[in-house]
Amino acid sequence: MDSKEVLMKVEGVSKFYQMGEVTVAALKDVSLNIYQGEFVVILGPSGSGKSTLLNILGGMDLPSEGKVVMEGEEITNYSDRKLTIYRREKIGFVFQFYNLMSNLTAIENVELATEICSDALNVNEVLEAVGLGERKDHFPAQMSGGEQQRVSIARAVAKNPSLLLCDEPTGALDFNTGIKILSQLKRINKEYNKTVIIITHNMPIGAMADRVIKMRSGEIIETKVNDNPIPPEGIEW
Amino acid sequence: MVMKRLDVRLLRLIKHSKGQFFSISIMVIIALTIYISFNMVADNLYNSIYHYYEETNFSDVFIEVVRVPKTAIDKLYTIEGIESAQGRISADVPLRVEDPEEKVRVRIVSVPNEDKIINNLYKIEGKDLQVDSKKTAVLQQFSDARGIVLEDRVRPYIAGREYPLEVISIVGSPEYIYLMENEQSLIPAPEKFGILYVTEDFAQSALGYQGSYNEIMVKINPEYYNSVDNIVDDIEDQLDRYGVKSIVKREDQLSHSMMMQEVEQLEAMATSITLLFLIVAAIIINIMLSRIVKNDRMSIGVMKALGYNNISILMHYTKFSLAIGLLGSIIGIVLSIPLSAAFTNLYIFYMNIPMFEMTLYEKYFIYGIVLTSVFCIISGLIGARSVLKILPASAMQPEIPKAGHRIWLEQIKFIWNRISFSWKMVIRNIFRKKKRAIFLILGIALTYSITMVPIFMSSVWGNVFMIQYGKYQTMGYNIDFTIPMNDSVIREISQLIDVDSIEPKTEIPFELRNGWKKKAVSVIALPENTSFYYFESMSGQELKLPTNGILLSDRLAKAIGASVGDDILMKSFLPDGDDTYINVKGVVEQYLGTNAYMTIDTMNELIGEKGLITGVLLNSKDDVVTKLKDVKNVKQVQSVEDMKNSFLEFMDMMIYSVGVMMIFGGILGFAIVYNVNVISISERVMEFSSLRVLGFDKREIYKMVSRENGIMAFFGILIGMPLGYSMCKGMIASLAMDMVTIPLIIENSSYVITAIATLSFVIIAQLATVRKIYRLNFLDALKNRIS
Ligand SMILES: Nc1ncnc2c1ncn2[C@@H]1O[C@H](COP(=O)(O)OP(=O)(O)OP(=O)(O)O)[C@@H](O)[C@H]1O
Ligand SMILES: [Mg+2]
Repeated sequence: MDSKEVLMKVEGVSKFYQMGEVTVAALKDVSLNIYQGEFVVILGPSGSGKSTLLNILGGMDLPSEGKVVMEGEEITNYSDRKLTIYRREKIGFVFQFYNLMSNLTAIENVELATEICSDALNVNEVLEAVGLGERKDHFPAQMSGGEQQRVSIARAVAKNPSLLLCDEPTGALDFNTGIKILSQLKRINKEYNKTVIIITHNMPIGAMADRVIKMRSGEIIETKVNDNPIPPEGIEW
Repeated sequence: MVMKRLDVRLLRLIKHSKGQFFSISIMVIIALTIYISFNMVADNLYNSIYHYYEETNFSDVFIEVVRVPKTAIDKLYTIEGIESAQGRISADVPLRVEDPEEKVRVRIVSVPNEDKIINNLYKIEGKDLQVDSKKTAVLQQFSDARGIVLEDRVRPYIAGREYPLEVISIVGSPEYIYLMENEQSLIPAPEKFGILYVTEDFAQSALGYQGSYNEIMVKINPEYYNSVDNIVDDIEDQLDRYGVKSIVKREDQLSHSMMMQEVEQLEAMATSITLLFLIVAAIIINIMLSRIVKNDRMSIGVMKALGYNNISILMHYTKFSLAIGLLGSIIGIVLSIPLSAAFTNLYIFYMNIPMFEMTLYEKYFIYGIVLTSVFCIISGLIGARSVLKILPASAMQPEIPKAGHRIWLEQIKFIWNRISFSWKMVIRNIFRKKKRAIFLILGIALTYSITMVPIFMSSVWGNVFMIQYGKYQTMGYNIDFTIPMNDSVIREISQLIDVDSIEPKTEIPFELRNGWKKKAVSVIALPENTSFYYFESMSGQELKLPTNGILLSDRLAKAIGASVGDDILMKSFLPDGDDTYINVKGVVEQYLGTNAYMTIDTMNELIGEKGLITGVLLNSKDDVVTKLKDVKNVKQVQSVEDMKNSFLEFMDMMIYSVGVMMIFGGILGFAIVYNVNVISISERVMEFSSLRVLGFDKREIYKMVSRENGIMAFFGILIGMPLGYSMCKGMIASLAMDMVTIPLIIENSSYVITAIATLSFVIIAQLATVRKIYRLNFLDALKNRIS
């Protein structure tokens, strides 16, 4: 792994929330590297700071302390405008609750993302790739949760981002559908050579990752390199 | 070009909320239609009037004298700035018509024998007036109203003789675009009063003005328009010995000033109605957009996470209001064209401007679009501004539940504990959205006050009439003589008709001056203990006619800035009248007309005569009009009945504008209540859905919404009452007419009627939202929250 090129460097990142008198530390001095093309799974119990970290990596939130360097540029001192461009060009998000625009069709939801980036992939091809070629003109309300999540993945992938961030992509899905989503993500990781970070509190999912990062109370408590990741179809929980 | 996905989303958003979209658009449409068409008609009217003036060489100054020879008129040319001056003879005489009961008066006006006639006639039909003295040209409004056609004969009754004149042409005149006998008349009555143009020869011989005139028309060189006042002073000096009765500048000429008032009123309406509707539309847009943005919090987070910047998201929502503005503008423009044409036709119908034409002033289209766009963009930006505060990370978080606060009413335990659970919910809901509740209450208050103005106006005229003719002046008939007569004439009249009571009066025009302020009015002299007149001070105390001094009507006192105790100058119009100072003993309320009052003794002393009167006042059940018809020296017999009738016509005209204003008030009220309701229903879909799941039925939910509206309507009406009162007050001030004072007497019934009208607007608007609640699919709503 050391031979791999570093995509992102996280150095001493902390995040504090002031809640009246008390200060909540959502992240405490977190440091890690993300390598180009790897498949990372972040594990941890509820409230351990996973989403907070992901938001900071994705340029959606700023840390209270520390810095994040992406492809040699420190994004943590970006202006609002540059952060927006960063999210537009470099990051693909997959949300736990899909978060599709309810009044746009599947393909329109994907196009909403691609029409503002410079290097987007062919939308139809990406939709085919996630197996939704037939259903691209349907509205979210006409699709199942799994289908909606695949649209959400297509939306993130079609932007052709450097980094795909998924916050509990299977959280709202049943086992079988969850596995399908995970194999899609794995395929995208391999076929498009995209770096993928998945957040979950589902331990077995760690088995498919190149690397597993465990968090607790805002800290990384363990980083485990997985030399032989198993295909998602082999996961059981 | 492929449409941007955000714009596709916008279109579907609009489709989804089309009820609101259109109801706000309607307000913009109304605003713009009124803005464009009123302004266009005002411009058309103004330009047509001035075009007409130019074509007919309309006079700049009008002078009334007792009698002036031609030589004196020619001498006026020595005054610098006077371009031309022409004399004419004018006299108001009765016209004999088939029905002897009907009282018709005409003004005989001579047409000067000049090349370039001032106030030239605009021939609509027939031949030019020739030297033939048995022919007449009739003013169109009069001929139309009385069905007079060419070759008919009209019979004016001049100095005890009937003169049958053949109608040779039907004409228009710039002097009588708005045809009223005098400033005392409330409305034009073209079937009762008309103008007959005759040759100078005829007028001079029939009216006894051989070689002389009683009116002069003056054109002023445009370069001297700024010094009209000096020229008027010079004219006054030069003509003093011919008995100047009045000098009227064009701006004060009756028809002209009425027409200019019309133009100004159109412009003022264009501005005020447009602004009112645009402001209300802007507030509703603002509320609606902030609701949409709030509902879209998650979507906005996603957009930001996808890399959309603040400006494009803000634009996305602002386009919603811009779409309203543009749709409203386009439909408004389209509607304004036929509306302007209809208005123009109405003016052609009512006014006598033969060259009235309709021009489209495209500039108003542009102004209108810019105006509405600015309003919509600003309200959109303000409404959607919270977009800026939403963080991209919001896309990840489910909605943060809003912290529930106790409302202050809950502190007052003994009240709160007595309120039933469902009412508690209603009250909490109102307090939870304080700003919106305030807007709704103010909107209802505004609707109330707008609706109140016409209701007040339609009832106040009856009051004006009742007080003026039931309290201040109680005579049944007002008779004027052609010349001053000895007061022994009272006995003769009493022999002719069976009178209940009779009093002498003298009515003479004077110019009253106080410092530099002056006003020409008719001074009425009465017996000291008159029973026909009742004088009341502004504070409601009875005043008696002073033995030495004068009473001024309130409007007159204001016009010349005089108050009780001041000495004012009375300038006589009579050829050898003296100017005297007189003390103001009181200021009296007078709704109709502007006069000053004194005793006959004071008047006689003033003019140096004894026992002369110019008319009588009387009460009688006898047939006064017929019996005095052919009596020599009786100029006119005016009955209160006549005035009542012209009043009724005036009221008819009022009812029309009452209706129009009610409609505007209604639309405004409807739009406010409907939109606010739709917004709060769509915002509370979750809440209603939860209530439905808990077992509430649709009717109970609807009842809750109705109660909320009921409470707000109650407070709206409560605030609307004082607001309506001040709006009526403002209306009176803005209507400040020369001849009429409108008293601010608001009947209790007006308050009640207005409340009923306002409540109906609220109920209609609420009924329009019933569908929204009954169609509410609560399962969908609950599901949507998750996915
Ligand atoms: N806006 C905020 N204000 C205050 N505290 C916050 C805020 N956002 C997160 N936190 C706190 O920060 C800590 C970490 O939250 P985070 O959402 O990152 O947890 P998580 O690991 O993603 O949990 P889950 O698995 O439930 O999603 C929590 O204790 C949470 O209460
Ligand atoms: Mg989380």
